[in-house]
Amino acid sequence: MIITLGHYLALSSVLFTIGAAGFLYRRNALVALMSIELMLNAVNLTLVAANRWLPAVQGDAGTVSPPAPSGHVFAFFVIAVAAAEAAVGLAIVLSFYRLRKTVRTDAADMLRG
Amino acid sequence: MNPSSTQEIIAFSLFAALAVASALATVTLRNPIRNAVGLFVHVLSLAGLYITLAAHFLVAVQLIVYVGAVVVLFVFVIMLLGPGSETAPDATGRVPRVLGAAGIASVGIVLASTVRTLAPPRPDRVPEFGTLRHVGEYLFGPAMVPFEVASVLLTAGIVGAFAVAKAHHHKVKMNTETNLAPLKSDAVDESQGDHG
Repeated sequence: MIITLGHYLALSSVLFTIGAAGFLYRRNALVALMSIELMLNAVNLTLVAANRWLPAVQGDAGTVSPPAPSGHVFAFFVIAVAAAEAAVGLAIVLSFYRLRKTVRTDAADMLRG
Repeated sequence: MNPSSTQEIIAFSLFAALAVASALATVTLRNPIRNAVGLFVHVLSLAGLYITLAAHFLVAVQLIVYVGAVVVLFVFVIMLLGPGSETAPDATGRVPRVLGAAGIASVGIVLASTVRTLAPPRPDRVPEFGTLRHVGEYLFGPAMVPFEVASVLLTAGIVGAFAVAKAHHHKVKMNTETNLAPLKSDAVDESQGDHG
């Protein structure tokens, strides 16, 4: 048995499902934000695993150079976006808690007519 | 079976099991600080999986950004909210709960078993693949513009976080002459109301 790309993709889909389930089921805004982080991390794992299976580039004079690290760079940007999202999201949670004295997501109904 | 593939299987199984268990802990436990610890273990185990995928640069980024910043931010917010960060469990019945869990599990199983069969041959690792130099040259070459846009996004994120978290104080300050004035005038009004 060897570890194939399928193993990484299967693991990543399981992690993404756990994150999605947590986001849909939990009413705690903090846990919802953590579930978003789980989903983003699962996607990062897919990108990095796919990049590992990219074939090397064969040069003219028999030289071998590594494939473009586009999956790594994508994952890097996802991490940057996740960091910004976590900062703004947690600020919203803090501000919401000041207003409602709870972090339950179903208490956020101020825009309901 | 050669020793390197045995090591690989052990490392993958260990980190995969840790990642799944900590992800489950993150979404199921009731105490938010335990959820945060679950997230902490989860990002660490993903860093371990990145090592098995030869993504050295991303291991460093994962440890610095997730463990060093995001998880710490979560813990700080839980600390600021105190007991308010915990929510009471929902009054959902046993049947919808079990049905929901079965539905989610079946989605996960179908998804995982579909992609599980993908097994393209793995190319040999070129020694410099995934190193700081390799990723850095790509990041400051073809990916230069998105990299700079990401820095703009992060600046906007910082300013936005400040604006959102500070909005309440700002509003109070706008409505009154000084910070202490509303408290004093309220107290005076109440005492007058009591006497009258």
